[in-house]
Amino acid sequence: MTRRIAIPILFLAISLSFQARAQNAELFFKAAGSPSNPKVSTSWNKYFTYEGIMDFCRKLAKEHPDLVTLETAGKSYKGRDIIAIVISEKKGQSPDKKPGFYIDGNIHSNEIQGSDMALYTAWYLCEMYKTNSFINQLLKDKVFYILPTINPDARQYFMDEPNSTHSPRSGLVPFDNDRDGLYDEDGYDDLNNDGVISMMRRKNPDGKYITDPKDPRRMIMVKPGEKGEYELLGLEGIDNDNDGLINEDGIGGYDPNRDFGFNWEPNIVQWGAGKYPFSFPENQAVRDFSLKHRNIAGAQSFHNAGGMILRGPSAKDTGTEVFTRADEMVINTIGKKGEKIIPGYSLLTIWKDLYPVYGGELDWWYGAIGSYIFSNELWTQRLMFNDTSNVDEYEFERLLLFEDAFIPWKEADHPVYGKIEIGGFDKNFGRIHPGFLLESDAHRNAAFCIYNAWTMPKLEISSINVRDLPGGLKEVTATIANTQLMPTHSGTNLKYKIDPPDYVYLDGGKVIAGMIVTDIDRNITVEQKKNPQRIEVSNIEGYGRVHVRWIVKGGSRYGVRVESVKGGHVSRQAG
Amino acid sequence: MRLKTAFVFIILWLAILPLFSQYKYSDFSTLTRRINVLKDKYPRLCTVKSLVKTAGGREIWVLTAGTGNMDEKPGIVICGGIEGNHLLGQEIAMGFAEKLLENSSSQEIRNLLEKVTFYVFPNLSPDAAQQYFSDIRYERVANARPCDDDRDFLIDEDPFEDLNNDGLITLMRIYDPAGTHIENVRDNRLMVPADLSRGEKGKYLVYSEGIDNDDDGLFNEDGEGGVNFNNNLTWKYEHFGKNAGLHPVSEPETKAVLDFLFDRFNVFAVFAFGPQDNLGQPMKSPEPKSAGGEKGQDGDEGRWFMPRPVSLKSVLKSDELINIMVSDKYHEITGAKGAPVAAAAPGNFMEWAYYHYGRYSFSTPGWWFPIEKSETREEAFLKFAEKTGMNDVFVPWSEISHPGFPGKKVEVGGIKPFVMINPPADTLGDLIEAHYRFLVAASLMHPELEFLDIKTENAGDNIFRLTVKVHNKGLFATCAEVGDESIWTRIMRIVITPARNQTIISGLKTQRIKRLQGNETAEFTWLISGKGSTGISAGAANTGFISTSIDLK
Repeated sequence: MTRRIAIPILFLAISLSFQARAQNAELFFKAAGSPSNPKVSTSWNKYFTYEGIMDFCRKLAKEHPDLVTLETAGKSYKGRDIIAIVISEKKGQSPDKKPGFYIDGNIHSNEIQGSDMALYTAWYLCEMYKTNSFINQLLKDKVFYILPTINPDARQYFMDEPNSTHSPRSGLVPFDNDRDGLYDEDGYDDLNNDGVISMMRRKNPDGKYITDPKDPRRMIMVKPGEKGEYELLGLEGIDNDNDGLINEDGIGGYDPNRDFGFNWEPNIVQWGAGKYPFSFPENQAVRDFSLKHRNIAGAQSFHNAGGMILRGPSAKDTGTEVFTRADEMVINTIGKKGEKIIPGYSLLTIWKDLYPVYGGELDWWYGAIGSYIFSNELWTQRLMFNDTSNVDEYEFERLLLFEDAFIPWKEADHPVYGKIEIGGFDKNFGRIHPGFLLESDAHRNAAFCIYNAWTMPKLEISSINVRDLPGGLKEVTATIANTQLMPTHSGTNLKYKIDPPDYVYLDGGKVIAGMIVTDIDRNITVEQKKNPQRIEVSNIEGYGRVHVRWIVKGGSRYGVRVESVKGGHVSRQAG
Repeated sequence: MRLKTAFVFIILWLAILPLFSQYKYSDFSTLTRRINVLKDKYPRLCTVKSLVKTAGGREIWVLTAGTGNMDEKPGIVICGGIEGNHLLGQEIAMGFAEKLLENSSSQEIRNLLEKVTFYVFPNLSPDAAQQYFSDIRYERVANARPCDDDRDFLIDEDPFEDLNNDGLITLMRIYDPAGTHIENVRDNRLMVPADLSRGEKGKYLVYSEGIDNDDDGLFNEDGEGGVNFNNNLTWKYEHFGKNAGLHPVSEPETKAVLDFLFDRFNVFAVFAFGPQDNLGQPMKSPEPKSAGGEKGQDGDEGRWFMPRPVSLKSVLKSDELINIMVSDKYHEITGAKGAPVAAAAPGNFMEWAYYHYGRYSFSTPGWWFPIEKSETREEAFLKFAEKTGMNDVFVPWSEISHPGFPGKKVEVGGIKPFVMINPPADTLGDLIEAHYRFLVAASLMHPELEFLDIKTENAGDNIFRLTVKVHNKGLFATCAEVGDESIWTRIMRIVITPARNQTIISGLKTQRIKRLQGNETAEFTWLISGKGSTGISAGAANTGFISTSIDLK
């Protein structure tokens, strides 16, 4: 009985798994720069739910065991795992001894496409590793830590519950926004039960709005002196707590990206802050992850929207962090390259070009951890017609989405306003990408991350010279080069000694003395009196090199090892 | 049998009594016993709770004293152990709780406990405070979390060493022709830096008593621990500062205490006994004074849609007035003269409680000595000690042999640790009594709402005009001005509940009441149709709630 059923099921399982694994290569012709026959097949014109993300991560790990390890960074408020995909070639150097690149998405709940772009990056790296020599080398040299969503509760809440494209920004920890002792008691109300919070309008002879003759779905303001037909009443909602206000205390009500423990300011100063830094469990997970993986030298956070590549500082003249000239060069070089890689996106400085932010994630990574970081505001209306002058969402939605993203105005009853009409764009339009543009922008943002990761320090011991000294002693001189743009230590890292210096060890023989050669031609040296076998180099600059020297007694085969927290570990034998 | 038991108890009680009447500094286990004695003795007036355990495994105790619904009455927080070396703060806070409950049979205190809830944290730095009672005594402020204090990537590698075996860490001086210090001419026991501009050349090198374990030229710079509670808060937190922690509110005890306080919306004032002072010398609002004080703009070049952050730079005007009033009361009751030297500390608790918690915040070390402009603090202290008969405050310089300075003459000596900030134990009784009386007097100024001038007018045809004033009859405002816009304070509301047959013609059912200064009122009016009994309630957690009902007929 059991056997008879089991055999066909086994067959079915085998054939299913076969289908999932190989997509019959003969059916496809490779498009340049994309995996034509990926082990994990998917399409990038839809959004992953939380379960979808977890499922995708597990598939990636299963199909790419030589590259992928899954880690749990922590738990969300509602107890969901915050998953981290660790991607690097496992067979060589241990991944935590390589420079690390960190990516997270979705810190703001409604800004969901950051997760999908992070997942695209993970997928692309894994699927191109075997066939593309650049990606292959990258995964030999570096490790990626990708946290697709650092806000899983509210991601799912955005998808499952009635919301607008702007809600919620907050996570789900209850907050008493109207300070009446009740928590989250007066949020939006889905009056027409369509799963979306859209606009309310009401016919009113004194109203200031009319419908647009070019597209009657759109409300436009009348010019002074003209007569209106409608008034706008805001987003769908009623006065749930009978205090005379509508929608004043919705779900959550804080900003997860004002919760980080650097340049933090309280709620009176910085809207959205919690009680103190790392008030929210999701951000505690990010903090703990950043402390556990000190090799992270570069980082990327995905937000929406506006088409921006944001860099620090986040506030003017307030932080402890230092942007040295070397750091400015690194940040601007990468950022400017980003403008080229992602057309329509501009490199901007947060406090100057946007608004001041206290307690943002960027400040934590740059200020407290010493990692270079950018935050991309994904999606811009400039992508609709590849045009900066025509950014008409209604026209785009009509011509390219066939009115798939608009909820037609329809009559409804409101307990306070009486007969009203409800309508407007769906929550999946306005800030997140329409399906057909998602893959292309995901690829560009992934390419930016890949470029960014490639610029992380790459250390090489370029030479080891051994010279005989009188009395049977040897002089061993090693040259360590950083062949990439980023230094091993940022300005803040150097000033506040966040990471140890780069350690250069000599193995073999008894070290009598050790020194840094500051000028190899004129033979100027600075001796390190304590523990000379391990020379401490404060920093190896981008495209820079350092020379270290030991006076050694005995030994014949000398080995040199470099251990740099953010620059990676390398070693070489002399001769 | 029962009589016998009672008798034994009385004997025991008499035996314990002198222990309490003769105060001395309590170590952690004694403190734990003292606070739990109160819990057992006054179960109807107080609760005792451990909020968390520190890295050193010590509880953060909080005693809540009051009656009824304690978290919905005006609340006062009283804290000691703000810094671990300040044992006096612990004694004042713990002593206050003991006296308050001992006096709870008096009419005055019984009434006070009906109106106000007290949250007493006797020691917020129990790990550090324990150093006072250990074999090597030094003024420690750090908790037991292992830390790299000197940022050399080694943890707790250069602790203190008691070189002369007296159980105390003082100073050591090394005779050295290239020294940095000389003897103070006015008191040759003390070392002062040589002043080259006055033609002085140093004779001594002066360091903390110890060994340079990690050979970095510094002595005792990375001892056991840790993070100082009083540097770990968010106000002006110093990133990478000594004893500051990894980030603001990084420590379990800091987080637990803040969670407890943020959950208590009823707290209107915080009293901290620690190094900061605004009771001797009130905080100053800058001149020229304008209503609302000075609000400084930061980063005003931002050009997008978000509101620009505005950070507070100094005390607000109306809060300054309350500070002056409370400070005057402090001087009047305790008889304290002048003010201690202002101690600035990044991330400190007192300023946090004002600027970030948004409550009235007061602090004093509780005891200090006068310092003339021309003298050093040490000089002033030794003078004061002599005048007041404090013996045993100085370890005379005596020679030792120091492995780090072979062939050089090294002496250990100096002012004993703790004595400059903690008075002799025999003065504790008076200090605790004075601070107890001050705290009771300040508590009596709590905000309190009442309805005034309830007026009903029949406007005809069963339409009634109802007018009430909500009056704050306390001296403290219903909320400090600094917290008026904070999400962590509540907004008072007035709610009218008409009878079933009544309808509100004009006026909202629920309205916000603005912040009320001491002795200030706010007036509300409704038009109500129909006869009957109309209920009105008003308040918020920080003022308590009042209600009444008015017959409209």
